[in-house]
Amino acid sequence: MPFTIGPAGDTAMRLSFQEPPSPHLTQLLLQLQRTARAYFLDALSDSVVGYATLTLFFIPLSLQRDPVTAWLKKTAFSLCNSKQAQAELNKEAVVLPVFYDPAVAPDLITVADDLGITIDALITLHSATPYFAYATGFAPGFCYLGTLDPRLSTQRLSTPRLRVPAGAVAIADQQTAVYPCESPGGWRIIGACPVTLFDLAATPASTLAVGDSVRFEAIDEQAYCSLGGRL
Amino acid sequence: MRTLTLDKAGIASTIQDGGRLGTLHAGIAPAGAMDPPALKAGQYCLGHRAGEAAIEIAYGNVRATTSHDCALVVTGAPAMVLIDNEPVPAKSIQTLGAGQTLTIGPPSEGIYSYLHVSGGFNTRPIFASRSTSPREGIGGLHGGYLRDQDVVPLSDWTPLIETYRADPGLCSIEQRAVLTLRYVPGYQYDELAPALIQRLNEDHFEVTAKANRMGITLNGPLLKTGVESLLSEATCQGAIQIPPDGNPIVLMQDRQTMGGYPIPGAVIGSDCVRLAQARPGQKIRFSACTPQEADNIRWLEHHYVETRLR
Repeated sequence: MPFTIGPAGDTAMRLSFQEPPSPHLTQLLLQLQRTARAYFLDALSDSVVGYATLTLFFIPLSLQRDPVTAWLKKTAFSLCNSKQAQAELNKEAVVLPVFYDPAVAPDLITVADDLGITIDALITLHSATPYFAYATGFAPGFCYLGTLDPRLSTQRLSTPRLRVPAGAVAIADQQTAVYPCESPGGWRIIGACPVTLFDLAATPASTLAVGDSVRFEAIDEQAYCSLGGRL
Repeated sequence: MRTLTLDKAGIASTIQDGGRLGTLHAGIAPAGAMDPPALKAGQYCLGHRAGEAAIEIAYGNVRATTSHDCALVVTGAPAMVLIDNEPVPAKSIQTLGAGQTLTIGPPSEGIYSYLHVSGGFNTRPIFASRSTSPREGIGGLHGGYLRDQDVVPLSDWTPLIETYRADPGLCSIEQRAVLTLRYVPGYQYDELAPALIQRLNEDHFEVTAKANRMGITLNGPLLKTGVESLLSEATCQGAIQIPPDGNPIVLMQDRQTMGGYPIPGAVIGSDCVRLAQARPGQKIRFSACTPQEADNIRWLEHHYVETRLR
Protein backbone atom coordinates (compact mmCIF):
# COMPACT_ATOMS: atom_id res chain seq x y z
CA MET A 1 0.00 0.00 0.00
CA PRO A 2 1.61 3.27 -1.09
CA PHE A 3 1.92 6.08 1.47
CA THR A 4 3.56 9.48 1.86
CA ILE A 5 5.24 11.04 4.90
CA GLY A 6 5.50 14.78 5.40
CA PRO A 7 5.38 17.61 7.91
CA ALA A 8 2.15 18.88 9.52
CA GLY A 9 3.33 22.29 10.62
CA ASP A 10 6.50 22.73 12.66
CA THR A 11 5.90 20.14 15.41
CA ALA A 12 3.96 17.28 13.80
CA MET A 13 4.49 14.61 11.14
CA ARG A 14 1.80 13.14 8.94
CA LEU A 15 1.58 9.77 7.23
CA SER A 16 -1.05 9.47 4.51
CA PHE A 17 -2.15 6.36 2.61
CA GLN A 18 -3.25 6.68 -1.02
CA GLU A 19 -5.98 4.18 -0.45
CA PRO A 20 -9.76 4.42 0.08
CA PRO A 21 -10.80 4.17 3.74
CA SER A 22 -11.65 0.71 5.02
CA PRO A 23 -11.78 -0.99 8.42
CA HIS A 24 -8.59 -2.77 7.44
CA LEU A 25 -6.77 0.51 6.74
CA THR A 26 -8.02 1.94 10.05
CA GLN A 27 -6.76 -1.12 11.93
CA LEU A 28 -3.39 -0.62 10.30
CA LEU A 29 -3.34 3.05 11.32
CA LEU A 30 -4.33 2.12 14.90
CA GLN A 31 -1.55 -0.45 15.06
CA LEU A 32 0.91 2.12 13.76
CA GLN A 33 -0.37 4.60 16.38
CA ARG A 34 0.15 2.06 19.21
CA THR A 35 3.64 1.24 17.95
CA ALA A 36 4.53 4.95 17.70
CA ARG A 37 3.28 5.63 21.25
CA ALA A 38 5.39 2.80 22.62
CA TYR A 39 8.44 3.90 20.64
CA PHE A 40 8.45 7.69 21.04
CA LEU A 41 7.06 7.70 24.61
CA ASP A 42 7.04 11.18 26.16
CA ALA A 43 8.38 12.92 23.06
CA LEU A 44 4.99 12.25 21.44
CA SER A 45 2.35 14.59 22.88
CA ASP A 46 -0.55 13.22 20.86
CA SER A 47 -1.48 11.21 17.79
CA VAL A 48 -4.64 11.31 15.71
CA VAL A 49 -6.01 8.71 13.30
CA GLY A 50 -7.98 10.11 10.33
CA TYR A 51 -9.77 8.21 7.55
CA ALA A 52 -6.49 7.50 5.78
CA THR A 53 -3.89 9.37 7.85
CA LEU A 54 -1.96 9.20 11.09
CA THR A 55 -0.68 12.50 12.49
CA LEU A 56 2.00 12.41 15.18
CA PHE A 57 2.27 15.50 17.39
CA PHE A 58 5.59 15.98 19.15
CA ILE A 59 6.53 18.05 22.18
CA PRO A 60 8.07 21.19 20.60
CA LEU A 61 11.86 20.85 20.17
CA SER A 62 11.81 17.07 20.60
CA LEU A 63 10.90 16.22 17.01
CA GLN A 64 13.90 14.86 15.12
CA ARG A 65 12.62 14.80 11.59
CA ASP A 66 15.01 12.43 9.84
CA PRO A 67 14.93 9.59 12.39
CA VAL A 68 11.14 9.94 12.76
CA THR A 69 10.63 9.82 8.99
CA ALA A 70 12.89 6.80 8.65
CA TRP A 71 11.15 5.00 11.53
CA LEU A 72 7.68 5.74 10.15
CA LYS A 73 8.67 4.50 6.71
CA LYS A 74 10.16 1.28 8.04
CA THR A 75 7.35 0.58 10.51
CA ALA A 76 4.48 1.39 8.13
CA PHE A 77 6.10 -0.75 5.46
CA SER A 78 6.51 -3.76 7.71
CA LEU A 79 2.97 -3.42 9.14
CA CYS A 80 1.51 -3.28 5.63
CA ASN A 81 3.14 -6.62 4.98
CA SER A 82 2.06 -8.34 8.19
CA LYS A 83 -1.19 -10.10 8.98
CA GLN A 84 -1.26 -8.69 12.53
CA ALA A 85 -3.39 -5.66 11.73
CA GLN A 86 -6.20 -7.95 10.73
CA ALA A 87 -6.45 -9.46 14.21
CA GLU A 88 -8.83 -7.08 15.96
CA LEU A 89 -11.32 -6.67 13.15
CA ASN A 90 -14.00 -8.86 14.67
CA LYS A 91 -14.54 -6.86 17.85
CA GLU A 92 -17.85 -7.14 19.67
CA ALA A 93 -20.19 -4.32 18.70
CA VAL A 94 -21.12 -1.51 21.10
CA VAL A 95 -24.94 -1.43 21.06
CA LEU A 96 -26.52 2.01 21.28
CA PRO A 97 -30.29 2.28 21.91
CA VAL A 98 -32.07 4.79 19.66
CA PHE A 99 -35.56 6.24 19.90
CA TYR A 100 -36.54 6.92 16.27
CA ASP A 101 -39.51 9.26 16.57
CA PRO A 102 -40.50 12.67 15.16
CA ALA A 103 -40.86 13.89 18.77
CA VAL A 104 -37.05 13.81 19.15
CA ALA A 105 -35.99 13.73 15.48
CA PRO A 106 -36.99 16.83 13.51
CA ASP A 107 -35.74 15.44 10.17
CA LEU A 108 -37.13 11.88 10.41
CA ILE A 109 -40.27 12.49 8.32
CA THR A 110 -38.60 14.66 5.68
CA VAL A 111 -35.67 12.26 5.28
CA ALA A 112 -38.03 9.30 4.80
CA ASP A 113 -40.05 11.34 2.28
CA ASP A 114 -36.93 12.47 0.40
CA LEU A 115 -35.66 8.91 0.20
CA GLY A 116 -39.08 7.61 -0.81
CA ILE A 117 -39.24 4.99 1.95
CA THR A 118 -41.40 4.52 5.04
CA ILE A 119 -40.15 5.51 8.48
CA ASP A 120 -40.17 1.84 9.48
CA ALA A 121 -38.01 0.95 6.50
CA LEU A 122 -35.61 3.78 7.38
CA ILE A 123 -35.33 2.51 10.96
CA THR A 124 -34.74 -1.05 9.77
CA LEU A 125 -32.04 0.05 7.32
CA HIS A 126 -30.28 2.28 9.87
CA SER A 127 -30.26 -0.32 12.64
CA ALA A 128 -29.66 -3.41 10.51
CA THR A 129 -25.90 -3.39 10.09
CA PRO A 130 -23.02 -2.66 12.47
CA TYR A 131 -21.00 0.45 11.69
CA PHE A 132 -17.28 1.00 11.93
CA ALA A 133 -15.77 3.95 13.82
CA TYR A 134 -13.38 5.58 11.33
CA ALA A 135 -12.37 8.68 13.26
CA THR A 136 -13.13 10.83 16.29
CA GLY A 137 -13.01 14.59 16.40
CA PHE A 138 -15.03 17.66 15.37
CA ALA A 139 -16.28 17.77 18.98
CA PRO A 140 -15.35 15.81 22.12
CA GLY A 141 -16.56 12.22 21.81
CA PHE A 142 -17.92 12.71 18.27
CA CYS A 143 -17.31 9.58 16.22
CA TYR A 144 -17.58 9.29 12.44
CA LEU A 145 -19.39 5.99 11.74
CA GLY A 146 -19.59 4.29 8.35
CA THR A 147 -20.61 3.04 6.01
CA LEU A 148 -24.27 3.92 5.74
CA ASP A 149 -26.53 1.88 3.46
CA PRO A 150 -26.52 3.76 0.12
CA ARG A 151 -30.33 3.81 0.27
CA LEU A 152 -30.01 6.16 3.28
CA SER A 153 -27.54 8.56 1.68
CA THR A 154 -28.77 12.15 2.15
CA GLN A 155 -27.35 15.62 1.78
CA ARG A 156 -26.51 17.84 4.72
CA LEU A 157 -28.83 20.70 5.64
CA SER A 158 -28.03 23.72 3.47
CA THR A 159 -27.96 25.85 6.62
CA PRO A 160 -26.56 24.00 9.64
CA ARG A 161 -28.56 24.12 12.88
CA LEU A 162 -27.05 26.34 15.55
CA ARG A 163 -28.16 23.90 18.26
CA VAL A 164 -28.19 20.15 17.87
CA PRO A 165 -29.10 18.52 21.20
CA ALA A 166 -26.82 16.00 22.89
CA GLY A 167 -27.78 12.45 21.90
CA ALA A 168 -29.05 13.38 18.43
CA VAL A 169 -28.54 10.49 15.99
CA ALA A 170 -27.83 11.93 12.58
CA ILE A 171 -26.90 10.95 9.03
CA ALA A 172 -25.08 12.70 6.17
CA ASP A 173 -23.73 11.29 2.91
CA GLN A 174 -22.54 7.78 3.75
CA GLN A 175 -21.91 8.54 7.42
CA THR A 176 -23.85 8.42 10.67
CA ALA A 177 -23.05 9.69 14.17
CA VAL A 178 -24.42 10.53 17.59
CA TYR A 179 -23.81 14.11 18.78
CA PRO A 180 -22.27 13.59 22.26
CA CYS A 181 -22.78 17.20 23.38
CA GLU A 182 -24.99 20.06 22.27
CA SER A 183 -23.30 21.73 19.31
CA PRO A 184 -23.98 23.29 15.92
CA GLY A 185 -24.44 20.73 13.16
CA GLY A 186 -25.61 20.21 9.60
CA TRP A 187 -26.39 16.50 9.60
CA ARG A 188 -30.01 15.28 9.46
CA ILE A 189 -31.43 14.12 12.78
CA ILE A 190 -33.34 10.83 12.62
CA GLY A 191 -33.35 9.71 16.26
CA ALA A 192 -32.15 10.23 19.82
CA CYS A 193 -29.80 8.10 21.90
CA PRO A 194 -30.23 8.32 25.70
CA VAL A 195 -26.71 7.01 26.45
CA THR A 196 -24.07 9.54 27.57
CA LEU A 197 -21.18 9.31 25.09
CA PHE A 198 -18.84 11.87 26.61
CA ASP A 199 -18.33 12.30 30.34
CA LEU A 200 -15.33 14.18 31.75
CA ALA A 201 -15.59 12.22 35.01
CA ALA A 202 -15.32 8.84 33.25
CA THR A 203 -12.15 7.07 32.08
CA PRO A 204 -11.95 7.14 29.15
CA ALA A 205 -14.14 10.23 28.81
CA SER A 206 -15.41 9.08 25.44
CA THR A 207 -17.53 5.90 25.12
CA LEU A 208 -16.53 5.29 21.50
CA ALA A 209 -13.04 4.97 20.07
CA VAL A 210 -11.64 4.64 16.56
CA GLY A 211 -11.85 1.00 15.44
CA ASP A 212 -14.98 0.22 17.46
CA SER A 213 -17.92 -1.56 15.93
CA VAL A 214 -21.26 0.14 16.70
CA ARG A 215 -24.81 -1.11 16.22
CA PHE A 216 -28.03 0.84 16.77
CA GLU A 217 -31.07 -0.77 18.39
CA ALA A 218 -34.54 0.74 18.07
CA ILE A 219 -36.30 1.33 21.41
CA ASP A 220 -39.76 2.68 22.30
CA GLU A 221 -40.63 5.84 24.19
CA GLN A 222 -40.90 4.07 27.54
CA ALA A 223 -37.45 2.49 27.24
CA TYR A 224 -36.02 5.81 26.01
CA CYS A 225 -37.36 7.68 29.02
CA SER A 226 -36.35 4.99 31.51
CA LEU A 227 -32.77 5.19 30.16
CA GLY A 228 -32.78 8.91 30.93
CA GLY A 229 -33.79 10.20 27.50
CA ARG A 230 -35.60 13.53 27.33
CA LEU A 231 -38.51 14.29 25.01
CA MET B 1 -11.71 32.51 49.98
CA ARG B 2 -9.78 35.10 48.03
CA THR B 3 -11.61 36.22 44.91
CA LEU B 4 -11.43 38.61 42.00
CA THR B 5 -14.80 40.03 40.94
CA LEU B 6 -15.19 41.15 37.34
CA ASP B 7 -17.54 44.12 37.30
CA LYS B 8 -16.90 44.35 33.57
CA ALA B 9 -15.56 41.18 31.91
CA GLY B 10 -14.70 42.56 28.44
CA ILE B 11 -15.89 41.13 25.11
CA ALA B 12 -14.01 37.83 25.02
CA SER B 13 -12.08 37.17 28.24
CA THR B 14 -11.14 33.63 29.22
CA ILE B 15 -8.93 31.94 31.77
CA GLN B 16 -5.92 30.49 29.93
CA ASP B 17 -2.66 28.73 30.71
CA GLY B 18 -0.32 26.91 28.33
CA GLY B 19 -3.18 24.69 27.12
CA ARG B 20 -3.83 20.93 27.06
CA LEU B 21 -1.48 18.23 25.85
CA GLY B 22 -2.70 14.88 24.60
CA THR B 23 -6.43 15.54 24.14
CA LEU B 24 -6.53 15.90 20.35
CA HIS B 25 -7.35 12.22 19.79
CA ALA B 26 -10.44 12.71 21.99
CA GLY B 27 -11.60 15.64 19.84
CA ILE B 28 -10.64 18.31 22.37
CA ALA B 29 -8.73 21.34 21.07
CA PRO B 30 -5.54 22.30 22.91
CA ALA B 31 -6.80 25.80 23.87
CA GLY B 32 -4.19 27.86 25.79
CA ALA B 33 -3.01 31.46 25.55
CA MET B 34 -3.01 32.96 22.04
CA ASP B 35 0.25 34.77 22.96
CA PRO B 36 2.35 32.26 24.93
CA PRO B 37 5.37 34.59 25.38
CA ALA B 38 3.06 37.17 27.03
CA LEU B 39 1.74 34.45 29.35
CA LYS B 40 5.31 33.45 30.23
CA ALA B 41 6.32 37.06 30.84
CA GLY B 42 3.61 37.49 33.48
CA GLN B 43 4.45 34.18 35.14
CA TYR B 44 8.08 35.31 35.28
CA CYS B 45 7.24 38.71 36.78
CA LEU B 46 5.21 37.24 39.63
CA GLY B 47 7.40 34.19 40.28
CA HIS B 48 4.66 31.82 39.16
CA ARG B 49 4.98 28.20 38.14
CA ALA B 50 4.91 27.56 34.38
CA GLY B 51 1.41 26.09 34.66
CA GLU B 52 -0.19 29.14 36.31
CA ALA B 53 -3.16 30.65 34.48
CA ALA B 54 -3.99 34.27 33.61
CA ILE B 55 -7.11 35.99 32.32
CA GLU B 56 -6.74 36.49 28.57
CA ILE B 57 -8.49 39.72 27.60
CA ALA B 58 -9.34 40.60 23.99
CA TYR B 59 -9.36 44.37 23.30
CA GLY B 60 -9.27 45.34 26.99
CA ASN B 61 -12.20 47.02 28.74
CA VAL B 62 -12.16 45.10 31.99
CA ARG B 63 -12.96 46.37 35.48
CA ALA B 64 -12.34 44.27 38.56
CA THR B 65 -12.11 44.36 42.35
CA THR B 66 -10.49 41.94 44.76
CA SER B 67 -11.44 40.63 48.21
CA HIS B 68 -7.85 40.66 49.53
CA ASP B 69 -4.73 42.66 48.74
CA CYS B 70 -2.87 41.11 45.83
CA ALA B 71 -0.12 41.85 43.33
CA LEU B 72 -0.84 41.89 39.62
CA VAL B 73 0.73 42.55 36.25
CA VAL B 74 -0.79 43.00 32.80
CA THR B 75 1.27 41.64 29.88
CA GLY B 76 0.71 41.20 26.14
CA ALA B 77 -1.10 43.89 24.14
CA PRO B 78 -0.20 47.20 25.86
CA ALA B 79 -3.34 48.48 27.56
CA MET B 80 -3.65 51.39 29.98
CA VAL B 81 -3.94 50.05 33.53
CA LEU B 82 -5.58 52.16 36.25
CA ILE B 83 -6.00 51.53 39.95
CA ASP B 84 -8.79 53.63 41.46
CA ASN B 85 -8.67 55.68 38.26
CA GLU B 86 -4.95 56.46 38.62
CA PRO B 87 -2.84 55.26 35.67
CA VAL B 88 0.06 53.00 36.66
CA PRO B 89 3.18 52.24 34.56
CA ALA B 90 2.68 49.58 31.91
CA LYS B 91 3.89 46.02 32.55
CA SER B 92 4.84 46.83 36.14
CA ILE B 93 3.86 44.85 39.22
CA GLN B 94 1.17 46.68 41.13
CA THR B 95 -0.65 46.08 44.39
CA LEU B 96 -4.41 46.05 44.21
CA GLY B 97 -5.82 46.57 47.69
CA ALA B 98 -9.05 44.98 48.86
CA GLY B 99 -11.87 47.21 47.68
CA GLN B 100 -9.75 49.06 45.11
CA THR B 101 -10.85 49.05 41.50
CA LEU B 102 -8.64 47.82 38.67
CA THR B 103 -9.43 49.13 35.21
CA ILE B 104 -7.81 47.83 32.03
CA GLY B 105 -8.46 50.06 29.02
CA PRO B 106 -8.35 49.15 25.34
CA PRO B 107 -4.83 48.29 24.09
CA SER B 108 -3.04 50.78 21.86
CA GLU B 109 -1.89 47.95 19.61
CA GLY B 110 -2.39 44.19 19.40
CA ILE B 111 -5.42 42.32 20.72
CA TYR B 112 -4.69 40.02 23.66
CA SER B 113 -3.61 41.26 27.10
CA TYR B 114 -3.04 38.98 30.10
CA LEU B 115 -4.02 39.79 33.67
CA HIS B 116 -1.87 37.83 36.11
CA VAL B 117 -2.71 37.90 39.81
CA SER B 118 -0.18 36.77 42.43
CA GLY B 119 -0.75 33.11 43.29
CA GLY B 120 -2.82 32.51 40.19
CA PHE B 121 -6.45 31.57 39.70
CA ASN B 122 -7.85 28.65 41.64
CA THR B 123 -10.28 27.18 39.13
CA ARG B 124 -10.53 23.43 38.62
CA PRO B 125 -8.04 22.05 36.07
CA ILE B 126 -9.52 19.70 33.46
CA PHE B 127 -7.10 17.33 31.72
CA ALA B 128 -4.30 19.02 33.65
CA SER B 129 -5.08 22.53 32.39
CA ARG B 130 -7.16 25.51 33.52
CA SER B 131 -7.56 26.76 29.95
CA THR B 132 -11.08 27.52 28.76
CA SER B 133 -12.49 25.88 25.62
CA PRO B 134 -15.77 27.79 25.21
CA ARG B 135 -17.05 25.65 22.31
CA GLU B 136 -16.65 22.49 24.35
CA GLY B 137 -17.64 24.14 27.63
CA ILE B 138 -14.48 22.86 29.27
CA GLY B 139 -12.17 24.54 31.78
CA GLY B 140 -11.98 28.08 33.12
CA LEU B 141 -14.56 29.25 35.65
CA HIS B 142 -17.69 27.77 34.07
CA GLY B 143 -16.48 26.49 30.72
CA GLY B 144 -17.22 29.69 28.83
CA TYR B 145 -16.20 33.31 28.24
CA LEU B 146 -16.09 35.29 31.47
CA ARG B 147 -19.21 37.36 32.13
CA ASP B 148 -19.89 40.58 34.03
CA GLN B 149 -20.13 39.96 37.79
CA ASP B 150 -18.24 36.64 37.58
CA VAL B 151 -16.31 35.89 40.76
CA VAL B 152 -13.01 34.15 40.01
CA PRO B 153 -11.39 32.28 42.93
CA LEU B 154 -7.76 33.16 43.65
CA SER B 155 -5.36 30.67 45.14
CA ASP B 156 -4.49 30.85 48.83
CA TRP B 157 -0.74 31.09 48.35
CA THR B 158 1.04 34.19 47.18
CA PRO B 159 4.59 34.23 45.90
CA LEU B 160 7.23 35.96 48.03
CA ILE B 161 7.84 39.57 47.10
CA GLU B 162 11.55 38.71 46.66
CA THR B 163 10.60 36.52 43.68
CA TYR B 164 8.99 39.43 41.79
CA ARG B 165 10.98 40.50 38.74
CA ALA B 166 10.81 43.25 36.18
CA ASP B 167 9.11 42.73 32.81
CA PRO B 168 11.39 40.59 30.59
CA GLY B 169 10.42 42.59 27.49
CA LEU B 170 9.08 39.81 25.30
CA CYS B 171 6.98 41.33 22.57
CA SER B 172 4.96 39.53 19.93
CA ILE B 173 3.38 42.62 18.39
CA GLU B 174 5.06 43.85 15.25
CA GLN B 175 4.29 47.17 13.66
CA ARG B 176 4.87 46.41 10.01
CA ALA B 177 3.01 47.39 6.88
CA VAL B 178 3.11 43.76 5.77
CA LEU B 179 3.55 40.94 8.26
CA THR B 180 5.35 37.89 6.84
CA LEU B 181 4.03 34.52 8.00
CA ARG B 182 6.47 31.68 7.44
CA TYR B 183 4.83 28.34 6.80
CA VAL B 184 5.91 24.73 6.35
CA PRO B 185 4.40 23.26 3.15
CA GLY B 186 2.66 19.95 3.69
CA TYR B 187 -0.70 18.16 3.59
CA GLN B 188 -2.18 18.76 0.09
CA TYR B 189 0.59 21.19 -1.05
CA ASP B 190 1.71 18.94 -3.91
CA GLU B 191 -1.86 18.22 -5.04
CA LEU B 192 -2.97 21.85 -5.37
CA ALA B 193 -2.65 23.72 -8.66
CA PRO B 194 0.75 25.47 -9.09
CA ALA B 195 -1.07 28.72 -9.93
CA LEU B 196 -2.87 28.61 -6.59
CA ILE B 197 0.38 27.97 -4.68
CA GLN B 198 1.97 30.85 -6.55
CA ARG B 199 -0.85 33.19 -5.47
CA LEU B 200 -0.49 31.97 -1.87
CA ASN B 201 3.25 32.68 -1.94
CA GLU B 202 3.27 35.97 -3.81
CA ASP B 203 0.07 37.89 -3.12
CA HIS B 204 -0.90 39.96 -0.09
CA PHE B 205 -3.76 39.01 2.21
CA GLU B 206 -5.56 40.92 4.91
CA VAL B 207 -6.70 39.88 8.39
CA THR B 208 -10.51 40.14 8.56
CA ALA B 209 -12.84 40.69 11.52
CA LYS B 210 -13.74 36.99 11.28
CA ALA B 211 -10.92 36.20 13.66
CA ASN B 212 -11.13 34.51 17.02
CA ARG B 213 -9.47 31.82 19.11
CA MET B 214 -10.60 29.13 16.64
CA GLY B 215 -9.14 30.64 13.51
CA ILE B 216 -8.29 33.77 11.60
CA THR B 217 -9.98 34.29 8.24
CA LEU B 218 -8.00 36.17 5.60
CA ASN B 219 -9.14 38.18 2.64
CA GLY B 220 -7.24 38.47 -0.60
CA PRO B 221 -7.14 36.78 -3.96
CA LEU B 222 -9.62 33.91 -3.81
CA LEU B 223 -7.84 30.57 -3.62
CA LYS B 224 -10.34 28.39 -5.46
CA THR B 225 -9.27 24.78 -5.00
CA GLY B 226 -12.38 23.28 -6.57
CA VAL B 227 -12.39 20.81 -3.68
CA GLU B 228 -15.57 20.71 -1.57
CA SER B 229 -14.29 18.31 1.04
CA LEU B 230 -11.62 15.68 1.62
CA LEU B 231 -11.49 12.70 3.95
CA SER B 232 -11.38 14.08 7.49
CA GLU B 233 -7.97 14.15 9.11
CA ALA B 234 -6.19 15.82 12.03
CA THR B 235 -5.59 19.56 11.79
CA CYS B 236 -2.58 21.26 13.39
CA GLN B 237 -1.76 24.66 14.88
CA GLY B 238 -1.34 27.25 12.12
CA ALA B 239 -2.83 25.06 9.37
CA ILE B 240 -3.86 27.21 6.38
CA GLN B 241 -7.27 25.74 5.61
CA ILE B 242 -8.93 26.64 2.30
CA PRO B 243 -12.74 26.24 2.31
CA PRO B 244 -14.70 26.20 -0.99
CA ASP B 245 -15.25 30.01 -0.89
CA GLY B 246 -11.48 30.51 -1.38
CA ASN B 247 -10.76 32.64 1.70
CA PRO B 248 -8.03 30.91 3.73
CA ILE B 249 -8.44 30.40 7.48
CA VAL B 250 -5.38 29.96 9.72
CA LEU B 251 -6.36 27.54 12.48
CA MET B 252 -5.54 28.56 16.02
CA GLN B 253 -5.76 27.25 19.61
CA ASP B 254 -9.53 26.48 19.74
CA ARG B 255 -9.64 24.85 16.28
CA GLN B 256 -11.69 21.80 15.40
CA THR B 257 -9.35 18.84 15.83
CA MET B 258 -10.43 17.26 12.51
CA GLY B 259 -10.89 18.99 9.18
CA GLY B 260 -11.83 18.11 5.64
CA TYR B 261 -10.69 21.14 3.61
CA PRO B 262 -7.46 21.31 1.59
CA ILE B 263 -4.42 22.59 3.52
CA PRO B 264 -1.26 23.68 1.65
CA GLY B 265 0.78 23.96 4.87
CA ALA B 266 0.92 25.37 8.37
CA VAL B 267 2.24 28.66 9.77
CA ILE B 268 5.13 28.13 12.21
CA GLY B 269 4.49 28.59 15.94
CA SER B 270 6.17 31.95 16.48
CA ASP B 271 4.43 33.54 13.48
CA CYS B 272 1.07 32.22 14.75
CA VAL B 273 1.63 34.43 17.80
CA ARG B 274 2.30 37.49 15.61
CA LEU B 275 -0.82 36.69 13.59
CA ALA B 276 -2.90 36.23 16.77
CA GLN B 277 -1.95 39.76 17.87
CA ALA B 278 -2.57 41.28 14.40
CA ARG B 279 -5.72 43.36 14.10
CA PRO B 280 -8.26 43.21 11.27
CA GLY B 281 -6.91 45.15 8.28
CA GLN B 282 -3.30 44.05 8.89
CA LYS B 283 -1.68 43.07 5.57
CA ILE B 284 0.13 39.75 5.55
CA ARG B 285 2.05 37.59 3.12
CA PHE B 286 3.04 33.94 3.28
CA SER B 287 6.57 32.71 2.88
CA ALA B 288 7.31 29.00 2.54
CA CYS B 289 10.17 27.66 4.65
CA THR B 290 11.71 24.21 4.91
CA PRO B 291 11.02 22.07 7.99
CA GLN B 292 14.70 22.50 8.91
CA GLU B 293 14.40 26.31 8.78
CA ALA B 294 11.28 26.07 10.96
CA ASP B 295 13.21 23.97 13.48
CA ASN B 296 16.09 26.48 13.51
CA ILE B 297 13.70 29.38 14.08
CA ARG B 298 12.02 27.50 16.93
CA TRP B 299 15.37 26.77 18.60
CA LEU B 300 16.53 30.38 18.25
CA GLU B 301 13.29 31.81 19.62
CA HIS B 302 13.26 29.30 22.45
CA HIS B 303 16.82 30.26 23.32
CA TYR B 304 15.93 33.97 23.15
CA VAL B 305 12.89 33.57 25.43
CA GLU B 306 14.78 31.42 27.93
CA THR B 307 17.62 33.95 28.00
CA ARG B 308 15.21 36.79 28.73
CA LEU B 309 13.56 34.75 31.46
CA ARG B 310 16.81 33.86 33.23
